[in-house]
Amino acid sequence: MGKIEAKNIIKYFQHDGKPLKAIGGVNLTVDDGEFVCIVGPSGCGKSTFLRILAGLEKPDDGEVLLDGKKLVNTGPDRIMVFQEGALFPWLTVEDNVEYGLKVAGIPENERHDISKRYLDMMQLSQFANSYTYQLSTGMKQRVAIARALVMDPDVLLMDEPFAALDSQTRDLLLVEMQMIWQKTKKTIIFVTHNVPEAAVLGSRVAVFSHRPSVVKKSLNIDYKRPRVAEDENLGKFEKEILAALRHQGPK
Amino acid sequence: MKANLFGKKIAFYVLIIIVWQGIDSAEIWPDNIFPSPIEVGEDLLYGVSDGSLFYGIATSMWRLVIGLSIAIGGGMLLGIFMARVETVNQTIGSLVLGLQSIPSVAWVPLAILWFGLSDSGIIFVTAIGAIFAVTINTYTGVKNIDPSFIEAARNMGAKGGQLVTTILIPAAFPYMISGFKQGWAFAWRGVIGAELLFSFLGLGFLLNVGRQLNDVSQVIAMMLVIMGIGILIDGFVFKKLEDKVMTKWGLR
Repeated sequence: MGKIEAKNIIKYFQHDGKPLKAIGGVNLTVDDGEFVCIVGPSGCGKSTFLRILAGLEKPDDGEVLLDGKKLVNTGPDRIMVFQEGALFPWLTVEDNVEYGLKVAGIPENERHDISKRYLDMMQLSQFANSYTYQLSTGMKQRVAIARALVMDPDVLLMDEPFAALDSQTRDLLLVEMQMIWQKTKKTIIFVTHNVPEAAVLGSRVAVFSHRPSVVKKSLNIDYKRPRVAEDENLGKFEKEILAALRHQGPK
Repeated sequence: MKANLFGKKIAFYVLIIIVWQGIDSAEIWPDNIFPSPIEVGEDLLYGVSDGSLFYGIATSMWRLVIGLSIAIGGGMLLGIFMARVETVNQTIGSLVLGLQSIPSVAWVPLAILWFGLSDSGIIFVTAIGAIFAVTINTYTGVKNIDPSFIEAARNMGAKGGQLVTTILIPAAFPYMISGFKQGWAFAWRGVIGAELLFSFLGLGFLLNVGRQLNDVSQVIAMMLVIMGIGILIDGFVFKKLEDKVMTKWGLR
């Protein structure tokens, strides 16, 4: 299961020594198996919100529930995919993917079986013994996704994982990401500042307001999959997202 | 290219020996002040043939290895603590900087009083001369770890000791290598310096014996051996290790 609820999340940043309200009471419920994209203007605290869901940061107020249970710390039930991948350069691709399993004390042969399955799925098998410096940015993000999936988390948290990719690689991964979601039925929360990306990926898009941020609009995207970025029928969804983003008042 | 570089080096050293021999042949200084390269070479051969040279090298190396191991172990531990616990850094951190400014030989009187004229005393001087270089580099290394490495590991369930061995140490390893390299250089100076003053076996002792016997060629021969070992360990142990780590970590 993986129903995650954020209740009235409030978070202050320190700005020139003064507290600045960044997240002003975000309420968001993501049902088990939902794929929700969060978009919002830069500096609205959407990445911070994701980090709070991951338990890597504490909110100043509010709480996060996973299947009704209050979360206090970080843990492998919610795995984060970082913007730059955060792969460990001293480990091979395979060892990176197996890291969390090793930490959990899963025996070696079992680890190999699991990692092999996901390396195959992400088309990384031939790079299993490579080090990360030998990989392109797109390959690195595949490894980061594989590393998250092997943990079989209830929720997958993705923080602008495709922001640094060239457009062809991104398009490819957008399609793959939808297939992964359909295959694994994971709950996914995906932060992006890229509106077409959100429209392609999300079954729902939550638009954050400028800070102090709240969920300004929640838009269901009922459209067949796999979607591609060029699909003109997604245009009307993108327009709605953009309109919600624009009605922000002064920056 | 590589052969060319090697040739250049050989030519340089041959030139030094020729100039050296030339100065000696000019007989500006008497032989007991300025020996010829041949005399120094004879001294080395003598040391090889009666085994005293190897015994001296082995003794010094053994002390170095023990002292440096203590320094590396202790320095890593201290450095990691300083980097991860702010109170430790604020208190012990300032002391470490102060202690690092003490030259290793300045620890010798204390070591003699504490340990007597023994191996332990020399090892103490070696370890204490090297430990703070390892500490400071480890501290810098851990402080410079990409925070997302630590977050990702914690997110995947790593805690406490696991976090130290699987993330902090490997992630900071490129810095630690610099610490080991500096530590080794300090340790080598420490061993030789301590042996000179303790006068208790080893290369430093042989160097001092040369002075006591007024044997300039033995003094120079021992200095050459000390330098030679320095070049070998720097070039073959630490350079290799550093290259390997830097490549694997994708830093070059």
